[in-house]
Amino acid sequence: MGFASTVTKVGRSVGGVVGILYQAGRDTVDTVIRNVIPFMAFISFIIGLILTTGIGDWIAKGIKGSASSLPGLLLISVVCAIPLLSPLLGPGAVIAQIVGTLLGVEIGKGNIPAQYSLPALFAINPQVGCDFIPVGLALGEAEPATVEIGVPAVLFSRMVTGPLSVVIAYVASFGLYTAAK
Amino acid sequence: MHFLAVGFLSAVTVDKPTGVLGALATGAEDFIKVFNKGGSTLLSLMGGILPTLVVLLTAVNALVRIIGPERIENLGKAAARPGLQWYPVRYIILPFVSVFVLTNPMAYTMGRFLPERFKPAFYDSAVSFVHPILGIFPHANPGELFVYVGIATGIQQLGLGLGDLAVRYLLVGLVVIFIRGIVTERITARMMTKSEKGE
Repeated sequence: MGFASTVTKVGRSVGGVVGILYQAGRDTVDTVIRNVIPFMAFISFIIGLILTTGIGDWIAKGIKGSASSLPGLLLISVVCAIPLLSPLLGPGAVIAQIVGTLLGVEIGKGNIPAQYSLPALFAINPQVGCDFIPVGLALGEAEPATVEIGVPAVLFSRMVTGPLSVVIAYVASFGLYTAAK
Repeated sequence: MHFLAVGFLSAVTVDKPTGVLGALATGAEDFIKVFNKGGSTLLSLMGGILPTLVVLLTAVNALVRIIGPERIENLGKAAARPGLQWYPVRYIILPFVSVFVLTNPMAYTMGRFLPERFKPAFYDSAVSFVHPILGIFPHANPGELFVYVGIATGIQQLGLGLGDLAVRYLLVGLVVIFIRGIVTERITARMMTKSEKGE
């Protein structure tokens, strides 16, 4: 075990770690530029439109009633979980992201109480992944027969678990942001 | 930044333009106002959450590379076992670890270790976790960040901390994916026996 081989060993392992970190940074910047910033640009436009035009007040009136009560949130989740609608609402979670942003604006303005943020996160999202079931199952190397049963199984399951998740989140939101007003 | 507001910077006060030209001028101001507001929103997003996100993503990406995705395969094999005590492994631990390490959409590949009758339930469980994880680990699904960030921005505007919401979102998410896994597994089992009888 000579001095030279120790130096080589240290140099190699340090080089390896730096390589990993550098690659991680490269992957990150790649994702941020391709996926995150474009969505930020799009969301910023929507927020600008909501805040400066009358659309905001109009949406506020519509959303305020449904998003600041448990029955209203349940209604949203039931609609999103309808088996024919849920695959249409799913792709890229675009709908959930826009509705989430709209609700965020209304929460920020104080039109929706802050503790409703938690159940709202579940109410706007019972359709998550409903557009992707065949692909997701194929990634898990499922047989065609499984896909045939799996698609309706997941869609039907959401009709139960979608509203249920809102109820669980509602119960879990007790004590969240209540002291602050 | 406020292109049409520049005129007002000079101290001279003028009457508000009237007539057709006045209407056009007001229209132009309202038009650009939308984009000025959007621009300042974009700037606050890029200056606010983006730098933190980049650093966090880099750190977690490096961690995942050092751990190596192949290490979690044993977990997938353990989750395939029948019996009541393996339910939490299959529908809480495995989805959490797969989504954390493999991220959306590669997390669903972990389904290959499970028998066919568990696959739809595992997919349902894993895909339902790609948003609740975002509050604390945004690296898992950065392309769909705004499901959480959209609402979180509102909380921030009220001057409230996000930690409480992020933790509760994650924990409730774990409960929900567990229930989803069980419910979907039951529905799948029932449909499979039905289709076998039909043949």
